[in-house]
Amino acid sequence: MENKKTLVVGAGPAGVRLALERAEAGEQVTLVEKFPSLGAERIPRNRLINAEQAFDSPDLEKVRDHKNITIFPYSEVKRVTKENGKIKARVIKHSLRVDNTKCNDCKACIRVCPVNMFDDFNEGLGFRTAVDYFNPINAEYNIFKEDMPVCQRTCPVNLDIRGYVGLIADGKYAESLARIRERLPFPASIGRVCPHPCETACNRQYLDEPISICFLKRFVADVEIEAGIEPTYETAEKKYPEKIAIIGAGPSGLTCAHDLAKMGYENIKVFEALPVPGGYLWVGIPEYRLPKKILQREVDLIAKMGVEIQYNVRIGKDISFEELRNQYDAIFIGAGCHRGLKLRVPGEDEYEGIIDCVTFLREQALGIRKEGKGKLIVIGGGNAAIDSARVGWRMGYDEVYILYRRTRKEMPANPWEVDAAEHEGVKLQFLAAPVEILGENGKVVGMKCIKMELGEPDASGRRRPVPIEGSEYVIEAETIVPAISQGTDLSFLPEEHDFKLTRWNTFDIDEETGATNIPGVFAGGDVVSGPNIAIRAIAGGKRAALGIHEYLRSK
Amino acid sequence: MIYEKHGRYIIPFDDVPSQRAVMPEISVEERKGNFVEVETGFPEEMAVNEAKRCLGCRRCLGCALCWAECKPEAIDFSMPDETLDLEFDEVIITPAQDNTFERLDKALGYGIYPHVITDLQFERMLSPTGPTDGLVMSPLNGQIPSRLAIIQGHPEEDENHLLPSLILGVNESILALHKTEELEVTLVSPFSDTFEKDYLPEAKKVKGLELVNGKPLSVKQETDGLGLLLTYTGTDGEKQQEFDMIVVLTKPKLSSDISNLSKKLNQEVVSA
Amino acid sequence: MCTGRIDPVWVARALKRGLDGFLIVGCYFGDCHYISGNVQAKAKMDMTRRLLEHIGVNGKRLSFQQCSSGEGARFAELVNEFDQQIREIGPIGEGGDQLGKPEIFEKLQIAEAVLGGEKMRWVIGKRTPFMESGNMYGEIFTEHEFRRAIDMIIVEETETQAILHSLNKGAKSVEQLSQELEIPSERVFRYIRALKRKGFVEMGQIIERNPIYQLASQEV
Repeated sequence: MENKKTLVVGAGPAGVRLALERAEAGEQVTLVEKFPSLGAERIPRNRLINAEQAFDSPDLEKVRDHKNITIFPYSEVKRVTKENGKIKARVIKHSLRVDNTKCNDCKACIRVCPVNMFDDFNEGLGFRTAVDYFNPINAEYNIFKEDMPVCQRTCPVNLDIRGYVGLIADGKYAESLARIRERLPFPASIGRVCPHPCETACNRQYLDEPISICFLKRFVADVEIEAGIEPTYETAEKKYPEKIAIIGAGPSGLTCAHDLAKMGYENIKVFEALPVPGGYLWVGIPEYRLPKKILQREVDLIAKMGVEIQYNVRIGKDISFEELRNQYDAIFIGAGCHRGLKLRVPGEDEYEGIIDCVTFLREQALGIRKEGKGKLIVIGGGNAAIDSARVGWRMGYDEVYILYRRTRKEMPANPWEVDAAEHEGVKLQFLAAPVEILGENGKVVGMKCIKMELGEPDASGRRRPVPIEGSEYVIEAETIVPAISQGTDLSFLPEEHDFKLTRWNTFDIDEETGATNIPGVFAGGDVVSGPNIAIRAIAGGKRAALGIHEYLRSK
Repeated sequence: MIYEKHGRYIIPFDDVPSQRAVMPEISVEERKGNFVEVETGFPEEMAVNEAKRCLGCRRCLGCALCWAECKPEAIDFSMPDETLDLEFDEVIITPAQDNTFERLDKALGYGIYPHVITDLQFERMLSPTGPTDGLVMSPLNGQIPSRLAIIQGHPEEDENHLLPSLILGVNESILALHKTEELEVTLVSPFSDTFEKDYLPEAKKVKGLELVNGKPLSVKQETDGLGLLLTYTGTDGEKQQEFDMIVVLTKPKLSSDISNLSKKLNQEVVSA
Repeated sequence: MCTGRIDPVWVARALKRGLDGFLIVGCYFGDCHYISGNVQAKAKMDMTRRLLEHIGVNGKRLSFQQCSSGEGARFAELVNEFDQQIREIGPIGEGGDQLGKPEIFEKLQIAEAVLGGEKMRWVIGKRTPFMESGNMYGEIFTEHEFRRAIDMIIVEETETQAILHSLNKGAKSVEQLSQELEIPSERVFRYIRALKRKGFVEMGQIIERNPIYQLASQEV
C-alpha cells in the first residue's frame, strides 16, 4: 500500500512540527511555505523560559533531510479542490533565481545590490537587499521579486497602475490609455466612479497621501475624448465560430463580451432587458457622477468589435433560458442585483410614494421620473442611499433626508460621497430606524421611526444598533426611498433548475473560471458577489471570458 | 513608518509634491435642478504633477548587477517558476510566516515612533540570528535602553489572549534582562495580578521585572527629549511613566490567504 | 571625444578641486557617430545634476548643451552664456549654493564616491535597455519609473557613503553620526545595521550604552 500523502500549508513553528510528526509516522509530507525559507526560532508562548534555553528552534536540518518530506519554499497553493476524499492542489513554486548549490556565501551580491528593502524575516527591523538570504540559519539566497506592485495586486483587474501613471508623468497620454485598455474597456467610466481600492493600498500613504490613481485614469481617457480621437478595439486575427450568449449588458457582461471578441470570437450576442446598456452604471450611477454619453461611447467601442447588443429582451419572458441553452455554445450570466430589498415594516405595500432605491434611480435615469416635490426620506447608509438622496435633491424635492440606523462612522458609503451629499444640503439623521409607514388616502404622509443606540459588535465588526424603547417619533414625508440593500432577481431562470446557488441567492461558481455547476454556463458580477463595486464585476467578466475560452477550446 | 510585510521602505525625495491633487468641482449653486457632472476632471498640469508623485514601487530593479558580481555564477534570472499539480489524502493548514496581527490602537504609538515596536519584532531582536545580533537596541538611535516597557496592545481582550500574550512578554523580559546590563523592565497588562497569583507566581521573582496591573492608554514622545511617555490606568487611577523603548504585545491574526484556504476547505487552521 | 564617454565622476572631481562650473557641449541628437552617445550623456548629466542639487550644490554649475562643429558662433554664445551664468552664481561655496565652504567640498567627496561606485554606474548604464527592451524580467520602465529608481539610489547611496566617509575618520555611535551628517538617527541605525550585514562595518565597544561602529578591518 502506498503511503498516505499529506500536504502541510505554512512552515511556521506549527507547520514544521506537524510535518515532522507526520513524516515520522510514515506519511509522505509536502510542506509548502510562501516565504523563501522555513520558520525562525520562536520564544514560547505557553510556558516560562530560562534565559539559556530561550528559543524553541524548529529542527530545520531534520526536516530538510527527512526522506518523507518534500519542501517547497517560496511557493503558493492554488486551485485546491476536494473530490472523492482526495485533495487536488496546484503548487506554484517561485524561482529563487539563485542556485544555492553553487553559491559560496561570499556576500558579493549583497554588497553591490542597489536596493534596500524591509527584511521580512526580521519583521522589518532591518534591511535586506533584493538579492539576499532569508533565514540566516541556512543562508539560502534568493532574489526577491514581487510579481506586481501593491496597487496592481489590489486592483480586481490587476491594472498596470505603475505603468500607466508613469506614462502620464512622462506626458505620454495615448500610451497610458492604451496600457489601461489592455485590461479595462471602460477607462473613462471607471475613472469616474471607482471607489479605488488601489489607492487604499498605495504605499505613498505611509509617507503622506496616496496617489490619486482613479482620477488619473479619467484624465487620460478624457484627453482622448477632448481630442476627438475615435479608437478601435483590436480583435485577434484568428477567429472562432462558437456562439456565445451574454445575459445583461452591465459592466461584467460587456467586459466578458469585449474580452471574448478580443480573443477572436465572432458570434457574441448580449441580451439586455432594459432599453439602455451599462447595467447599474447607467441606471444606478447618476448622470452627475457618470454622464451617459461617456458610458455610451465606451459601450459603442465594444459594439464596434462585432458584439451584438439586443435591448428590451427579458430572458424568461421574451426568450426562455432553455432556448438560449439550446442555441448557444456558452452562456454568461451577468444579470446584476437590480432588486431593492424591502424594509419589512407595516404599511410598506399599502401606499403610493414608497419606492425602492433601485427603481427610483432607474426611473430617473430612464427619464420616467423627472421631478420631485415635498419631502424625501432615503433610508440606508450605502452608496445607493447617497445617490438616491443627491438625485432627489436635484429633482427638486424641497427637503431631502437620509435616515441611517448607525452613525456616520459605520456608513458603508464612500465618505467623500457622504460629504458631497451633506455639502449639497442633504440632511443626515443617524441612529434612527423606520417602524411603520404612515399613509392617508392611499398616499404616504410620513413614517414612524425609533431612535437607536449602538450595542455590541456584530459579525461584520460594526456595532449593532439597538432600538431605544419608547423613543418612537413621527416624521412627515411625501416620498420614502428604502435603500437597504439589493438582491438578485433570478426570475429569468426556469422554475425548476439545477443551478447551485448560495444562501444569498447568488450563483455559486468556480473561483478560477467563473463556471457555474451547469456545463457551459458561466456567471460573474453582482449576480455572483451580491451588490459590489463595478471594477469587481468587470474582473468577474474577465475571469469568465477566460473560463469560457478554456471551456470552448477543450470541447 | 508602519512596517508591513511586503511593504516598501520609502525615503522622501526633494522634488516630490507631498499633497495629493484635489479634484475640481462645480459649485453647489450650479448643481441645483440639473444633472451636470459635478467633478470637472484634472487639468493637465495637475494630472502630470500628481502622476509624478508615484513612487514607482519596485524592489528588485532587475539590473543584474548581482549576476555580474557573482563569481561562482550562482545567479540565474532565467530560472523558471514551476507549476505542479499534486494530489493528497489530507491537508493541514497552519499559519505561514506572515506573523500578521490585529491592527493596534494608533494611540499606542506603533508606526509613529521608531522606538515603539511589536513583540514579534522584539522576538527577532532578541534572537542571536536577528537584526541586532541578539542585543536590545532602540531602533530610534541604536542606543541600549535602560528603561523598557512591555505593554498589552489589546487590553480589552479576554484571558485566552491575555495569558499567552503575557507569557511571551515575561519571556522576552527574562531574555532582555539576561542580555542587557542595568535594565529595568515594566510590564503593563490588565491581567498582571491574576497572572502572578494564579498562573505563574515565579514570574514575580524575575529580577529587574516589574509587573504592573493596568490598561495602557497612550504613548507619546516627550517634546524635550527622546523618551516615551506611557499613560495607563492602574489600580489607583491614571499614571504616567517614562521609557526609552516600548514593546507592544500584539494579537495574532491569520493572513488572508491562509484564512481563505481554511474557508474554502471548511477546515480549521492548526496553530502551534 | 564623444560626450557619452564623460564620466559623471569627473564633474564631482572638478568641482571638488574648486572649479565653479562644468559645461559639456555635444552633438545634436540624431547626429551621434556612436548612435546614442549624446542621449546617454544627457541622461547621465541630468542624474548628476540631481545628485548635486541633493547634496546642496547649485545645479546650474553643470550644463549640457548641443552644437554642431560647424556652428562656431553658437559655440561662442553657449560658452559666454555659461560664463555669465557662473559669474552670477559666484565661486563655489560662496553664497551661490545651499552649502558653504568647507562642507561643500566634503559633500563633493561623497558625491565622487557615489558617482564612482559600481551601483550608480551600472544602473545608469541600464537606462537604454530598461526603457527599450526591459530589465531582467522584461519589464519596460517609463522615464518616470527610471528616475524614481535613480532617486532612490541617489538618496540612499549619498547617505551610506557619508556614513562610511565619516567612519573612515574614526569610530562613532549612531547618534554621533546622525548629528554630524544631519540624517535622522533611525535611518542611520538602519543603514549601519545594513552595512554590518554586508560586512562593511563592525560593532566595537559600547560607551555609555551606545554601541560604537567602525569600518570592518579589511575596509580601512
